[in-house]
Amino acid sequence: MPEKVGFSRLRLVRDAEMPPPPIAPSAYVELGVATPFSFLRGASDSIELVTTALLLGYDAIGVADRNTLAGVVRMHSACTGAGLRPLIGCRLDLTDAPSLLAYPIDRDGYGRLSRLLSLGKMRTEKGECELSLADVAEYQQGIAFIAWPKGDLDDYERELSRLCDALTSLRHVAASWLYRGDDNSRIERLDRIARKNGCSILATNDVHYHAPDRRPLQDVVTCIREKVTIATAGYLLNPNAERHLKSPEEMARLFARWPHAVKATREFADGLNFSLDELRYEYPKETVPDGRSPQQHLEHLTWQGAHQRWGTSIPYKVLTQLNHELKLIEKLDFARYFLTVHDIVAFARSLDPLILCQGRGSAANSAVCYCLGITAVDPATSDLLFERFISEERREPPDIDVDFEHERREEVIQHIYDKYGRDRAGIAATVIHYRPRSAIREVGKVMGLSEDVTAALASTIWGHMEAELKDARANDAGLDLSDPHLKRTMKLAEQLIGMPRHLSQHVGGFILTERPLTETVPIGNGAMEDRTFIEWDKDDIEELGILKIDVLALGMLTCIRKCFDLIEEHHGERWELATIPQEVPEVYDMLCRGDSLGVFQVESRAQMNMLPRLKPRKFYDLVIEVAIVRPGPIQGDMVHPYLKRRSGKEPVTFPCPDPEHGPPDELEKILGRTLGVPIFQEQAMKIALDAAKFSSEEANQLRKAMATFRSRGNIEVLQDKMVGRMVTRGYDPDFAQRCFDQIKGFGEYGFPESHAASFAHLVYVSSWLKWKYPAAFACGLLNSQPMGFYAPAQIVRDAREHGVEVREVDVNHSDWDCTLEDGALRLGLRQVEGLHREAADKVVSGRPHESVEDLRSRGGTPVHAIQRLAAADAFRSMKLDRRAALWDARALKQAPDLPLFAAADVRDEGAEAVIAKLPAMPLAEHVVNDYQTIRLSLKAHPMRFLREHYAVQKFVTADRLPNIRDGKRVSMSGLVLIRQRPGSAKGVCFITLEDETGVANLVVWPDVFETQRKIVMGARLMAVHGIIQKDAEDGVIHLVARKLEDHSHMLRHLSEEIMPSTLSQSDAAGSWRAPAARHPRDAEIIPKSRDFH
Amino acid sequence: MPHLAVERWARSSDFGPDDPIVLTVEGTHGLLIHAVTKAAAERGARAGARLTDARALDPSLVAVPADPQGDAALVQRLARWAGRWSPLVEMDGEDGLRLDVTGVAHLFGDEWDLAADVQTRFAVAGLSTRVAIAPTAAAAWALAHYGHASALVCTKDTGAKLADLPVAALRLPPEANRTLERLGLKTIGLLAGIERRSLARRFREVDNPVDALDRALGRKPEPLTAVPAERPPRAALKLEEPATHPEAPVQALDRLIPDLVRQLQQRHLGVRRLALIGFRVDGSTAIASVATAIPSREPKHLQRLLADKAAALDPGFGFDAFALQADWAEGLASAQESLVGDPSGEQEVARLVDRLSVQLGPEKVRRPQPLESHLPERASGWANAVSSLRGAKATKQSSGGDLDCFPRIKSGVAMTGARPQRLLDRPEAIAVVYATPEGVPRRFVWRRAVHDIARVEGPERIAPEWWRQPSTARLRDYYRVEDQAGRRYWIYREGLIGDGRGGLPEWYMHGLFG
Repeated sequence: MPEKVGFSRLRLVRDAEMPPPPIAPSAYVELGVATPFSFLRGASDSIELVTTALLLGYDAIGVADRNTLAGVVRMHSACTGAGLRPLIGCRLDLTDAPSLLAYPIDRDGYGRLSRLLSLGKMRTEKGECELSLADVAEYQQGIAFIAWPKGDLDDYERELSRLCDALTSLRHVAASWLYRGDDNSRIERLDRIARKNGCSILATNDVHYHAPDRRPLQDVVTCIREKVTIATAGYLLNPNAERHLKSPEEMARLFARWPHAVKATREFADGLNFSLDELRYEYPKETVPDGRSPQQHLEHLTWQGAHQRWGTSIPYKVLTQLNHELKLIEKLDFARYFLTVHDIVAFARSLDPLILCQGRGSAANSAVCYCLGITAVDPATSDLLFERFISEERREPPDIDVDFEHERREEVIQHIYDKYGRDRAGIAATVIHYRPRSAIREVGKVMGLSEDVTAALASTIWGHMEAELKDARANDAGLDLSDPHLKRTMKLAEQLIGMPRHLSQHVGGFILTERPLTETVPIGNGAMEDRTFIEWDKDDIEELGILKIDVLALGMLTCIRKCFDLIEEHHGERWELATIPQEVPEVYDMLCRGDSLGVFQVESRAQMNMLPRLKPRKFYDLVIEVAIVRPGPIQGDMVHPYLKRRSGKEPVTFPCPDPEHGPPDELEKILGRTLGVPIFQEQAMKIALDAAKFSSEEANQLRKAMATFRSRGNIEVLQDKMVGRMVTRGYDPDFAQRCFDQIKGFGEYGFPESHAASFAHLVYVSSWLKWKYPAAFACGLLNSQPMGFYAPAQIVRDAREHGVEVREVDVNHSDWDCTLEDGALRLGLRQVEGLHREAADKVVSGRPHESVEDLRSRGGTPVHAIQRLAAADAFRSMKLDRRAALWDARALKQAPDLPLFAAADVRDEGAEAVIAKLPAMPLAEHVVNDYQTIRLSLKAHPMRFLREHYAVQKFVTADRLPNIRDGKRVSMSGLVLIRQRPGSAKGVCFITLEDETGVANLVVWPDVFETQRKIVMGARLMAVHGIIQKDAEDGVIHLVARKLEDHSHMLRHLSEEIMPSTLSQSDAAGSWRAPAARHPRDAEIIPKSRDFH
Repeated sequence: MPHLAVERWARSSDFGPDDPIVLTVEGTHGLLIHAVTKAAAERGARAGARLTDARALDPSLVAVPADPQGDAALVQRLARWAGRWSPLVEMDGEDGLRLDVTGVAHLFGDEWDLAADVQTRFAVAGLSTRVAIAPTAAAAWALAHYGHASALVCTKDTGAKLADLPVAALRLPPEANRTLERLGLKTIGLLAGIERRSLARRFREVDNPVDALDRALGRKPEPLTAVPAERPPRAALKLEEPATHPEAPVQALDRLIPDLVRQLQQRHLGVRRLALIGFRVDGSTAIASVATAIPSREPKHLQRLLADKAAALDPGFGFDAFALQADWAEGLASAQESLVGDPSGEQEVARLVDRLSVQLGPEKVRRPQPLESHLPERASGWANAVSSLRGAKATKQSSGGDLDCFPRIKSGVAMTGARPQRLLDRPEAIAVVYATPEGVPRRFVWRRAVHDIARVEGPERIAPEWWRQPSTARLRDYYRVEDQAGRRYWIYREGLIGDGRGGLPEWYMHGLFG
């Protein structure tokens, strides 16, 4: 995975104000602590809790979330950072008894607690946990319990004796002084009840937040949980703000009458002897054959792979690299990790047909990974930065992410479950956090704001994960922010941002262990069938050093595999990812023209425009191409300098520090390959290290802080630090600021070089396919839908423009998938809207058909499917046009599929006496119907029928644009294919129009956009009057819109029927709304490839 | 009535017709637009679209929740009102009315005049309409929805009149429509030209074009089922001679009540609002009306409620008829409360409330109502006694019969802490001796009397309601105290030392126990 950490969390780093370790034992230890992982209950995160605890003089703090261990790792890491001792436990809410706090005494007790929670979670659908007292009793060994009384004590005496009978080690009853008025008598009574059962009371403050001023947020989350507004919540809320962390002295004062209650906490804490550090990770053993050590086996496999790739003459460069890597792997004992990944990849390769896969991310920096077949970036031709992958200082396990064909990833996942067992393999969780939009919506609802006002507030946040909700923007939306109620709402929403909301399943991060996984972390059922996932997210796993493999899905791999199969079948050549001829100039020629529709990653409009400017001529250019059209480089304003230098308009220079501060070439080493412009994430980080002299701790802090939007204050500090230090070392302040801005962009959408290299490899492979075998490529693309940026109509159009003959869907010729027929592309039945695979298979198996009736009687195709096929005009091979076929298809009667009925059915109505005369369908109407039923038309382009109308008005066609000189005013019209308003483009809207001759790229400046918003957003057929803008050098043509007209009504002239929208999938529904509303992994702004996770 | 929802809404709002308003309903994926004003339509909003999509076109759209039930109720009312034109009126869909005007038109001139009359009167009511008259209901619907505005009345030759209309005018399901259009049979005329049997074997659904065509052309009957007029329970009495003496209405009441009660019994109803109407000889009426707290059909009770008001009716030149009418009745099953015939406590209270309300006016009789707030002075309020009982009844049925008939607070969450029986309207400042900062009170001076505290319990800490109180509001620590004489008080300290919200904390007396 690239460093797209998104919500990667803050690490608690000690500062000067904190008391230094070791911390003297405090008289009191807080054990009843709810973190935000007691979802919608706890209102302070682990860092806030731990920092406060530290300042109050605690030496240890407990964590006890409801039926979950999801928050313990965060608490553990925060405590470790501060020098506190974390006490790991949870609160068990039982179905048939009062609640308990459960704290494991040792590793075995922890294992049992984890298994107990897994048991409760596996019983329920998802998220819930169902446990009874009997279950707890069964797993009680090694766990210390604290009974947690309810508000009403009348029955508690009986309940407690029941608990004591079931749990032999139960010795404590929690008591809280919460300013209820009757605390004295209540605690006295609890004390008596406890004594009677041989127990003692134990003081706790039922902590829900770290400080009293968090109470409003806690009230708000309570309202969210109970689905009420704050005004009507009433007694659902607590009457006061006392559930915060209190100092040991304060607790001693409150429990002055019961000193034993305070003492009990200390004793209880001292009795616990478990730390998460004990969860020593053990790799699965089955990847190593008997008689060999893992290292031996890895070396064996590596050399075997090397010989396969290069024969006996392994390049010297690779040889030394391999030796270096293997040594380091041995030293750090990571051999089994590589073997595990290799095992999964080997499985995918062993299938017939095999599943294509390719490692991405930093693993591409490893020659060992290349030899094991995990990655495909040839170490002989590229410079590897192995230390980025594994480093001795970090000692973190490496992170290998492997992409598989998206249609077949499930096979890999189920293989992992089968091989390692469900108790040893699980998918990591993803913690879904409140984002600005969801926070404002939920808080607004609770505060009683109308849908309109919350929508307006939410819309003030356009896209980015910003912690501060900008006042100015709210004012734009017509909201008066001086209103105290609104102000309060905004403030609470700000606090809510970044709080966990619920657990979800990670896209493909697998955890594998040697011992049962349930003893390490609770496992629950996933939303998808046959999926189980653990309670911790990838940061937690990383924190504890547990092996994780990302099994990801990539649509392009599916497409490439399908292309390979087609090529083998029709051309008799077998290609593999690694065997594609390298550096074919014609492939680069094609890319330089911006002719990249369908090609991985570089098919978006922004990339298509970049290609002719960047003019890639070798593989490394593609690596840069992939990385440069990204928010990071764009925000850092690195794109234009790079282009200028590449085209030679600007000399390549390297900023350097004052000679007294360092060698003049310190940046040349980092930026040499990218002409002095930082483009990749690691370059930017390296600048922080080398040019701003950040310590590795500071650099780590920087990376994490950038990714976490709850820590804006922190960022300012780091910014001053980095820019300041660079300037003092003699760098240009402007350059320093740009470097920092770029890191800021990377924080959320980083793109390291190795990752770009992995992707660039797929860019090259797909480009090569498109160039060499355009028909097979289009066919593979169509058969892998939905994926990529373009709709089938554009893929087909592009294929035809490349000389591929495309044939229509036909019941007698089409398979389910699109196929190749003597070099021509035959559309498959899958293009027909609403047709199911099953029905299509029946059509295919019953061939040849001579009449509409045949489909039903011979193949048993359901009548509704036949009607759909008729509507899609798929009966031309039997000389029936759409209308005639539909007329015949309507006459079919769906009979139960029994022989008797089938026979009876033939005769029941007899032949038709009168042949009905239906009016002939005009071509224009056929086209509209084609779009309705197969989303494209081979017959004609809809604009063709309107051309006469527009020609009279002197509208030009798209193919004429290159012949018109720069700056000329023109008018043109076309169907709207794509609308985009990328966040980084400062309000500029890009529209792609299509007419019968080609596509045109429109640029709509913000002022035009605002005045003609309705047309920009709503028109399906758009007429535009504007000015041609040409870049003489790279030939990119834009039409800058001056005035737009909505001509959608013209489509009505084609047919009475409604012309469906031709917008590609990526538009309309998705790209328009601000990205923050979507999943973080979709939040890339510019290249809207959907393949990427 | 193509714009019913918007027009109904416009009648009751301050927005002008030029404001871009959309009425919305909840859809599965967010709000859907239900109806739009003309201004909103010009900005690209369409009924059926998603609000977010429409907002993308024009962010200035104002969204208002639609009220489909209210719209339906209006259509129902209009259906009754349309009885002025026809004895047979039927509601048609969400926004249409069908009138059987067979043999009616001549009363209004001719069909054109009738149509014009309907249109005018609806326009006066603020509703735009498309009125069509045709020999069959289906044809009239087709014309009303798809016909050209100038040719909405069709007296004969229906087929020709409909021929040019699109097949959609036949009110077929969308799927059938689309198929017909794909087949090229786009108008009713083209459809009618196709051989019947060919069509019949191709459209076998219940809603098929052949049937629809038959209905439109009158080959198949389509009777109307009129809106059943629900008459309120009503008893009437005609006098032979006009009566002028003041006793007359009361005597009439005595005769009318048993009649009405019998009707109520038959229909299992109890009255909530009852009116006695006296018809004077000169054609004017006098009305006396009362309301009850719970549904009732107890003759004595009703008699007592109405008697005084009835006696006060001004007979003018004399009443020649009386009617007793239950304007608002609710379901009331017959029930036996207990073995002895005594009415239950609930009924007693309800009757008392009724009688008091009649005497004092309904807004004068209020009952206390618990509210959910931790702040003691906000934990109760007052509600109108007669009207507030409606909600009470619903909770009552679910929670089993208790004597209290107050609306309950949300079940499941109980208020904590003991509360005094008497709460002072306004907390009174007192001087207290206590150990700072948070020690318990030892002695206090209230109304110039010194009380030494013997026992104390607390504190119960109640924080301000941050969402409605200013941020300077201070928390309160309530103590239950007992002085040497055994008197118990509820006092509180407002604020804490160092809470940053003012100076030294102050003490108040807030309530008295016992």
